[in-house]
This record gives sequence, C-alpha cells and structure tokens, in this order.
Amino acid sequence: MTALDVTAAGKAYGPVAALAGAHLSVPEGALVAVLGPSGCGKTTLLRCVAGLERLDAGEIRVAGALVAGPRVHLPAHRRRVALVPQEGALFPHLSVADNVGYGLDRAARRSGRVDEVLALVGLADHHRRMPHQLSGGQQQRVALARALAPRPPLILLDEPFSALDAGLRAELRQDVRAALRADGATAVLVTHDQGEALSLADHVVVMRGGTVVQDGAPADVYAAPADPWVARFVGDAMLLAGTVTGGRARTAAGEAPVVGAGAAGDPGAVTVLVRPEQLRLTPAGDTAPGGITGRVLRHDFHGHDSVTVVGLDDGTRVLSRRLNDGARDEPGTAVTLRIEGPVRAWAADAAR
Amino acid sequence: MALLPLVYLLVRTAEAGAGRIAEELFTGRVAVLTARTVALAAVVTAACVVLGVGTAFLVGRTDLPGRRLFAVLGALPLAVPTYIAAFTWVSTLDGFTGFWASAVVLSLCSYPYVYLPVVAALDRADAAQEDVARSLGHNPWRTFRSVTLPQLRPAVAGGALLVALYVLSDFGAVALLRTDTFTAAIFTAFDLGFDRTGALVLATVLVALTTVLLVGEGATRRRDARYAAVGAGARRPHTRLRLGPARLPAALLLAVVAALALGVPALNLARRLAAGVSRPGSLPEIAAAAGNSLTVSAAGAALTLLLALPIGLLVARAPGPLAAGAEGLSYLSHALPGVVIGLSLVFFGVNVAYPLYQTRWLLTLAYAVLFLPLAVAAVSAAVAQAPPVLEDVARSLGRSPARVLATVTVPLTVPGIAAGAALVFLTCMKELPATLLLRPTGMDTLATELWTHTGVAAYAAAAPYAALLVALSAIPTWFLAARTGALASQEGTR
Amino acid sequence: MSPSRLRPAVAAALGGALLFALAACGGGEPASEPDDKTIVLYSGRNETLVKPLLDKFSQQTGIAVQARYGTTAQMAAQLAEEGDRSPAEVFLAQDAGALGAVNKKGMFAALPAEATAKVPAIYRAEDGNWVGVTARSRVLVYNPALVKAADLPASVFDLTGPAWKGKVAVAPTNGSFQAFVTAVRVQHGEQKAKEFFTALKANDAQIRANNIEIVTDVDAGKVPAGLVNHYYLGEIAKERGVTPEQLNAKLHFFTPGDSGAMVNVSGVGVLKRSATDPDARALVDYLLGAEAQTYFAEETFEYPVVAGAPAPAYVPALADLKAPAIDLNDLETLEASIALIKESGLTP
Repeated sequence: MTALDVTAAGKAYGPVAALAGAHLSVPEGALVAVLGPSGCGKTTLLRCVAGLERLDAGEIRVAGALVAGPRVHLPAHRRRVALVPQEGALFPHLSVADNVGYGLDRAARRSGRVDEVLALVGLADHHRRMPHQLSGGQQQRVALARALAPRPPLILLDEPFSALDAGLRAELRQDVRAALRADGATAVLVTHDQGEALSLADHVVVMRGGTVVQDGAPADVYAAPADPWVARFVGDAMLLAGTVTGGRARTAAGEAPVVGAGAAGDPGAVTVLVRPEQLRLTPAGDTAPGGITGRVLRHDFHGHDSVTVVGLDDGTRVLSRRLNDGARDEPGTAVTLRIEGPVRAWAADAAR
Repeated sequence: MALLPLVYLLVRTAEAGAGRIAEELFTGRVAVLTARTVALAAVVTAACVVLGVGTAFLVGRTDLPGRRLFAVLGALPLAVPTYIAAFTWVSTLDGFTGFWASAVVLSLCSYPYVYLPVVAALDRADAAQEDVARSLGHNPWRTFRSVTLPQLRPAVAGGALLVALYVLSDFGAVALLRTDTFTAAIFTAFDLGFDRTGALVLATVLVALTTVLLVGEGATRRRDARYAAVGAGARRPHTRLRLGPARLPAALLLAVVAALALGVPALNLARRLAAGVSRPGSLPEIAAAAGNSLTVSAAGAALTLLLALPIGLLVARAPGPLAAGAEGLSYLSHALPGVVIGLSLVFFGVNVAYPLYQTRWLLTLAYAVLFLPLAVAAVSAAVAQAPPVLEDVARSLGRSPARVLATVTVPLTVPGIAAGAALVFLTCMKELPATLLLRPTGMDTLATELWTHTGVAAYAAAAPYAALLVALSAIPTWFLAARTGALASQEGTR
Repeated sequence: MSPSRLRPAVAAALGGALLFALAACGGGEPASEPDDKTIVLYSGRNETLVKPLLDKFSQQTGIAVQARYGTTAQMAAQLAEEGDRSPAEVFLAQDAGALGAVNKKGMFAALPAEATAKVPAIYRAEDGNWVGVTARSRVLVYNPALVKAADLPASVFDLTGPAWKGKVAVAPTNGSFQAFVTAVRVQHGEQKAKEFFTALKANDAQIRANNIEIVTDVDAGKVPAGLVNHYYLGEIAKERGVTPEQLNAKLHFFTPGDSGAMVNVSGVGVLKRSATDPDARALVDYLLGAEAQTYFAEETFEYPVVAGAPAPAYVPALADLKAPAIDLNDLETLEASIALIKESGLTP
C-alpha cells in the first residue's frame, strides 16, 4: 500500500500557479525526497499534504484515505501527517520530553514512547532540558523525535538540515535516515539540495514550475535525467552541441555511445550530456584513437577530488573531475581528453 | 460588543432628525472645538512621543545612573488618574489652566502609553543590526536614528494612537483645567438642560475624528508591514551608550519629569490630608471600596482579554479586511467619553439584557467595550512575536485548533497578554463616568468614593481614596514595567 | 507550563463565558412589590450629605433604601434612557431643571396633595409631580481684602460695570446659573437678559467649572468675587474645620427682589411605577419632615422649605429674600435660557 498519493494537485495564489498538476506516490516505509529550486512548488505541495493549505484541484490520499480533493479538506490535525520544519520549531515553553510527548495522548506518554524515540535520535538523557539549552542539531533531533512519537503514517521534513553547518549536516542526515528506518516510518523530505536528496532518499522526485518532471531512484535520476534542465539541476553537467550517427554522439570533446531516448531517432543536431567524471585526461602526446587535444586553464582542488578546466581548440571549455591522486595539472599544460562510457543526448531544440 | 456604542449613537442621532443634527454640528462652535481638540491631541501625542521614546532610550540603551528606578518611574504615571493629576496641579499652581496646562498634565499622565511599548521594542530590536551600523562608521546617534528607530516605529505608532484616543476621550483633566474640547462639550451638553440628544450628536464627531486617526495609523502600519522576525538562538545584549558628562543632567531631566508627573500629585494629596478635618469612612468602608475596585477591574480585565484574544489573533495571524475591521471598531469606542459608553450600555442593558442591568456583569462589559483596544494591541503584538510555524507543527501532530491555541499559542503569548491585562486592569481602576452609570446600586469603588468626597470639597476625606487608588494601580504598573523588559534588560548589566 | 496544567484554566475561562451567556439569556422584570419595605433611590445629591439622613430614615421606618448616587444631569439622562424599565422609584435631584426634564418625559407620578401642600407653590411643580426639599439663594461671594464693603453692588446688573471688569467668576454650565438666567429673563425680558449676559461676558467674567471652585478661589484671593449659591461657603468651612464666619470669603445678598437674589431648590419626585408604593411616599414625607429639614439647615446650610424648621445660622431668613417668582419647572424656559447662555459666549 502507498502511504501517500497525490494526483494532479493544483494550487494557485492569485494569478500565480504554485502547483500545476503535480503527482507524487510514496510507498510505505520509504524516504522520498522532493527536489527542486526555490519557487518550484515543493513547499506548497508539502503544506497541501499537511493540510495547512487547501488544494484547488486534484486529490491527496494518506494511507489510502482521501484527505483532500474536490469538496474534501480534512483539517491538518485530523490527517496524522507530522511535520518537521526548518530550524525545528520546538515549543520554547515546553521541555524536551514535553515537546516529544506533545502529540501523544496521556496513556501513550506513559508507555515509554517518549524515551524510545529520544533514544532513537540519540538524546536519551535530555528529557528535562529546555529547547534553548540545545544546539541546533539537537533541536532538529528533538523535532524529528516529536514527529516520530505518535507513529504517524507519514512524516514531512521541510528542509530540515538547511540551517546547520556542513559537518553537522552530513552526520545528522544519516542519523535521521537511520532513525526513520528503525522506526519503520514513511517520510517525504523537501529540499533544494541535490546532494542531500541523492544521498538520503530511496526515491527522488524532481519538481519544476509546479509539476513533477522526473521521478526515480537517485542513481537513475542522476544517470538518466529526463531533460537537460534536470541533468544540470541534479549535478555538474556539460551540455555540448553535437550530432548523432549510428548510435554514437560526436561533440567537440570527443565521441561516445548514446543510450536511452535520443539514441534512436533521426541523425541530426543534438545536445549531449557529459558528466565531468566521464571526461578522462591523459598527458599530451597520447596518440590512441579518439583523443582530443586541449590546454589546462585551471585546476580546482576540493580535497577528496579535483576538477580541471580545459580549453579546447575551438574555444569550448570542459570540466574533468577525478578522485584526488595527488597530481596537479598546471595551467598551460597540453592534455588529451576522452569521453568514457555512454552519454545521454536530446534533440537540440529540446535543450534549455 | 464594540458595536454597541455605535449602534446606540446611530439610534439616538437618527431620532434627532436631520435638522437637529445640522443645527448641532454645523456651527462655528463645533469647528472651534474640533480644531482645539485636534490641536490638543496633536500636541500631547507629540510630547508623549518625545518623552516616551526619550525615557525608553535613556533607560534601555544608556549607562544612565539609577536606570532601574527610572524604568519603574517611567511607567508609574499611568497609575495617576488625569482628574487627580489635574486637580492637584490646578490647586498647586495659581491660574494653571487652559490649553497648555491641559497639554502638560495630559502629556505627563499618558506618556507611559508610548514609553512601555517602546522600551519593550528596544529590548527586542536586533542588536546585530546596530553592531553592523556601528561597524560601518555610523555614530551612536545616527545608528539609533537610521537602524533602531525604524524598528521602533510600530511600537511608537501604536502608543501614539492610544495617547491620541485617550486625549479625545478625556474629560477629567480638561474640565478641571478649563479647556473646552469635544468631550468637555459633550459633558457640558448633558449638564446644560439635560440634553442627551445634543450630546450624542456631538459624540458622532468624535467617532469621525477617530476614524481619521485610525486610517492614518493604518497607513503607517502598512509601511512597516514586517515586524521584526524572531530569530533563533540567544539574543545578544545591546551595547549601552556611554553618556559621559551628560549622565547626571540626563538623570536630572528624568527626575524632573517624574517629580512633575508623580511628585506634584503626591505632595498635594499629602497637604490636603493634613489641612482638612473631614475624614473618610471607616476602615471596612475603605476596604470594601478597594475590594470592589479590585474585583470589578479584575473581571473587566478578564472579559476584555477574552474578547480581545480572537481579535488579536485575527489581526496577527490573518491580517485582512475582517481583522482590520474588527480592530478598527474596537478603537472607535475607545475614543468615546465614558458617559456615552455608559449610556449606550444602559440602553443595551434596559432593552436587551435586562437581567444584567445594574449588575457587575454589565459594568464589566462596559470596561471591555471601553478598553478593548488596549488588550487587542497587547494580544496582537504578543501573537505576532510567536512564530506561526509552531502552530503548524502542533496541528500536524494531531491537535485541534482549540488545543493548539490552549497549549501553544496562549502559553507563548502569556507574558504579552498579561501585560495587556495589567494595563486594562489599572485603566478600569481609574474609570469613573461609566462606573457611575452602570455600577450596581450601592456599590462603591475607590474612584466613586473619590468623586463623592471631592463633590462636597471634603478633600481630606478624598485623599486616602486617591492615595489608595494610585497605590493599587502602581502594582500592575510595576508589573508592566518589569514585564516589558524595562527591568529585565537591567538584570544582565548588574 | 505543561498542557495538562493549563487545561483547568481554559476550562474555567470557557465556563465563565458560558455562565455569562446563560445569565444573558435569563429573563425577568425588576422586582418591585408595593409594600416590600425597600425602595430604590436615584440621588443626584452627594452621598456624604444624603446618606446619614437616609440611615436615620431606615432606622425609624424599617424601610431599606438602596441609593444610587451620580451627578444630577447624568442621572436625568440615565432615567430617560431607562424609561419604563427603570429600577428607580424615587429621584432626588440637585436642581429643579433636572426634575422638570424627567417630568417632561412623563416619568413622575403625581404626589399626594398633603405632601406638596407643606411647600410654598413657587418651590414645587405646578402639576404636583415633584416637590422642593431645600432652597438655596443666589449670592455674591467676595473677598473683603479685594472688594470694599461699600463697593458691593445692590443689583446683579451692576456687575457689568467697569469697576467689576475681570473680577467676577461664574459657572455657566451649572444648573444654578441656568436658573439664574431664567430669573433674569422672566423679570426683565429676553432683550435685556441677552444684553446683560453678553455684557457680563464682555466684562471679562471668569469662567469656572462649578461653585466650589469659585468659592475656593475667592477665599484664596485668586478672584475678587463670584456668583454662587449661598451654602458652598458652609461646605468649605466644614472641610476646614472652621465656621463660615472664619473664612476670608464673605457672602453678599443682593437687594430683595433683585434677579441676583433668586432662589432655586433641590427636590424629589416619585417614579410612576411606584405611584402607589407607601415606602416611596414615606421617604418623601420624611424629607419634608422636621428632622430632615433641620438636618439640611444644620449640615448642608440650605434653607428648609417647610415652615417651622430653623433657618441656617449665618444667612438672612428665606422670607426676607423676596426672591423673584419664576417657574423653576418650565423646561421650555430652561431651553431658552441655555440658548441664551450659549449665545452670550459664556460657554464654548
């Protein structure tokens, strides 16, 4: 059974359509990330699911039950959809234990559920603390525990990590996923951070302009984006002009086999997606077939990997990423480059 | 509820007929009264803004000696009814009457309406913004003007509105100081030939003046649409300005203001107590009057808050025509003289709720109608400070809107709401005209006893009631000063 | 604060609101049995003066008086607003104008002739619906340090002369002043009255809110003289613990028959709903009885209106004043007087 079904959801604020026929399906026990730039409608979608906004069109089902649809609007407090907002939003006048127990009835509060979820988020000893005595990360953990406590069929996480610093964020992400898993909870995570979405979720839904443009496993969305916009949004992407003949794409940076949509079809002008990690550099003088020559413009060191910017003879600039091997490509050095593995291509007029 | 006085005015002025209305309104006298009333409101409001913001700044942001004391003294004039202040002034200073005398007394009595919200807003204002301005090379004064003052504007505008409305409705001070304002004319119309209709026709002009004021204040508010956001994490303390050689003169200035606002009434009351031979009633009588004052004022404050809560929530959470309308209505009745509100509730009590007539319930209701805006302002400010996301979360956890209100919104806004209650409470303590009309037969309060004794020149008998009235009002006032951060902000620097 | 601890508070608040609503839904007329040994009195006269008298009345008759105090003018407005449903049974007013206003609304019941007969006709309503309880004379209060006895005016009309410029205080919004205006109009006609009051204003008459202020200011030498009712001097003397003779301020009575020597009354009327209530009648009789009349003379320094009661100590006898005869009850006349006050510029 699915925990959440959103069908053709529509919502407008005056003349501005925030949702224009969005679809979303979340299987029970899954963690689904809704990914999109700001203004894409993802927060509206979340607020409609939570019952904080009224849907104009379409319908929403939680655990099979219709909660929003034509002439149906179950108020927020009857939907059993728990919210974890940005910055936690703990009730400042309640202790940690009272915060976590807020959504529980008296019996449930006594049953040890509060201890259980606090242990789950790693704050077993913080019952009596007040919110202002906690760090930002701890506040988020309590907020998650609070949402988990009543065992809702669905938990909504609204950019829950955005206010935290980078180191804390990575650690907390994994702890949140572990806690959700351990409790068997189903969750929707709304984020504009593609790294967060890809690393955390079982399933990624990409939104743009109030609709869902792609929906799939993180690896699939990354490797096989639906269009050039998605390609760029979910990771670094080079979109090169080229032609396709006989299942092979030809671009200024070399040629490679084409897979998926675009591989068939008529030969002609196409836009080709090449990820920086697909571009291999070898020292100049490599005479094996298919090599293209270029000159190093810049070398950016990122610790675990590095990116080299190469200028081709025709003026095109391309990126090559590789795991850090200690080598440096000095600017001005001549190099040979090749595309590795299959690429995606779209008819040129589809490119945006 | 706030509509009652307006409905009453409508009914009674409609009875008067167009000819009578025109005869009463389109006269040179009305024009003169309007001009004088508006001028008085403008002068007093301006003076209160200067006194209120100045005191708040000195207390909240400088190393003024005796800050804790001045923080309380700044709020205390609220405890002095204007009729007591005016009475003591005019009997202390020969010929202290007329427009400017009224302006002085009203300003001294009502500047806490500006001081209290501003000192609270100063405490809330973002310290980081001020630090940034200083780091960009602005001197403290320029920083205050360009960064802090804009953040204070909603607080200043709200306080100034209350002052202006108060001046419109005040009778005690202007009558004693012989300044003929609209409200004075309304009372005079009652006295002159017991002319109810003429008085009420005049009262409609006050409603019109108030509407103009409200529209003006609404315009300022739209410009400052965003209230300061509530940031996460602990607030940093504000940097205190060193006054240097100006420390003592500044303290002296505040001491003079306090002496004028509090010392003059206190000394005069003491002198009268010593000079007269009349004595107040027995101790049980005084205690009964004090008890009545406390209970009806407490009930008034409670009912006012109960009514203000939905309006305040609406104003803060769902701003729009409905909220603005409800808020505006509550302000309209605030500018009407107590006698008009009193009569409108007599009308309501006699015709609609007869079992309540001349019971404490109807008196309580009158207080609510009169002082609703004080509570609405406090509630909406408090609610605006409580982040709405907390309510979203609470609802998502399966709590009904009523439960959310009771367990999240109200507890978070309790301090602000309590401040509103204290303000309403002490204003109820001072109220006289509506109390006289609506009190249960035989019930005396401190204010009515005071009125009774001054009515036969028994000043010595009146003085203890006046002193007790001021003393009991000073308790909620002290709480207000403590609550709004005037004192709290001192704690850190001790 | 935990949610569970808050619940009782919320419940209490809601309960209170519910009670309030229930109370509002209840019905019922005011209980007013004709012979229940209790009456509701609306008093426009001060509690300090009236209450001791009412206590004596209750002691003697066993009739409890629920007295409600306010200003005479506002009580008249309140009575008008309450109409038939007024809980009031008896209205005791500071001046005749207010009694006339309530009478004009048809709210008073006729008083028994044996009660009204005790009082001279000029001190009661023509239709017998209210009756005077005490009388007060118009006087000029003056400060001998500022006004020589020889310069005191024989007639109030002398006050518009240059010798009195800026020296006379008046309280134009006061009922007693309005009655005085009526006296001038009745005696001398509209034209002369208008000339007089306009001249009074032009002579820089000092405006005060009430008579007490005038007497206080005259006594303190802040203003040389003022037009007031006679008994205020006694009131202030009482507060200072002295006799009226010991004060700086002195009273000057105008020549008998002069408009300035007019006499006004405080009075009482019975509301229609208590027309047959013996308790209300008993109170009226008591107020006109020897004990009450003596009380007023001794405690409030007013003139008794019933023959036989002693006159107050420091003033000439009422009979010697020969006050001009005017109908204090005539509200049309009162309205004309008010219009005249407004025209003269004495009020804003």
